[in-house]
Amino acid sequence: MNDEPPVQNQPSGLAPPADFTTFMRMYQDMVFTTSARLVRNDAQAEDIAQEVFIKAYEHFDMLATSPSAGGWLKTVATNLSLNHLQHYRKRWKFFSEFGGDSQDEDAPAVEFAAPDTFFDAIDSEEKRAWVEEALAKLPDHQRVPLVLYHFEDIPYDEISKRLGVSLAKVKTDILRARAALAKILARADGAERAMAN
Amino acid sequence: MNPNESQKLETAVHALLRRMPDRRAPSGLEGRVLAEIARRAALPWWRKSFAHWPSSMRLVFVAGSALAGFAAVTVLVALAGSQGAHQLGNALSNSFAWLILARDVISSFDGRVRQLISAVPPLWLYGGVAAVAVGYATLAAIGAATYRAVSFARQTS
Repeated sequence: MNDEPPVQNQPSGLAPPADFTTFMRMYQDMVFTTSARLVRNDAQAEDIAQEVFIKAYEHFDMLATSPSAGGWLKTVATNLSLNHLQHYRKRWKFFSEFGGDSQDEDAPAVEFAAPDTFFDAIDSEEKRAWVEEALAKLPDHQRVPLVLYHFEDIPYDEISKRLGVSLAKVKTDILRARAALAKILARADGAERAMAN
Repeated sequence: MNPNESQKLETAVHALLRRMPDRRAPSGLEGRVLAEIARRAALPWWRKSFAHWPSSMRLVFVAGSALAGFAAVTVLVALAGSQGAHQLGNALSNSFAWLILARDVISSFDGRVRQLISAVPPLWLYGGVAAVAVGYATLAAIGAATYRAVSFARQTS
């Protein structure tokens, strides 16, 4: 992603109030991140973020002074991202879920001794990038509930309702997502240690 | 994984993810949003959604629609009772006489098919249906297995 400050250019035509631009600068990273972690595609996340801010502009009278504006934006970004995912999910659901979760059930138990050390030393740019990459590597049916649970603080039963899957499946998918995440991070950490030695 | 390990992993993952900072939004996002807002604002009112129409225009539209609907119903009722409506009905039935012929042909064909099916032994019919079902299931299984093999190969590569 870019390291430069946001573009300040004002398009021609009717300009929105300056306050809205400030408002957008305050929240654009949060909205984009929420969407990008769910849809795993930066271009689509940018489209969704654009739609979120256009909706925010339509409700700006209410949002400008609201202390819960951030929560409102996050909820809208989450809902639009889930709608987007479900729109595409219908196309591949049959084949991708045809075999059930048997391959996951056969997966060996995860050793997460290495991630423990990784978790303690996360405060570096490189390792944060690893975590983002590791999240992106998770399949949708694991990543989406994991993100909703850990980043958005949505409880299991609410995730189950919103994704239209059983509560048991949500819990299992999140459990496996954590294990898979730990496994990917352990592998990345091991590779780095091997290169260092 | 036992419950203790599971709990430990949940706590560790939660702490890890909650420490993750937001990613930086693309530099073009702000410009795109402002441009789209300006584009929508520049649209004439009749090209926006109904909720954004001026209230006077919404009122005129609702009243006009109600009047048009009432006028259409009145005209239809008046026409239905007139002499011209009977003539029009006759003319239409002459124009679409071929539809009656088509219906007769289809019903005759349907009768033949029913006769043919009733002449086939039931065992053959069930066997045929079973063969189609097995063929369909086999093709679906091959397709799903291929898809999963390809997607697994992509994930592991």
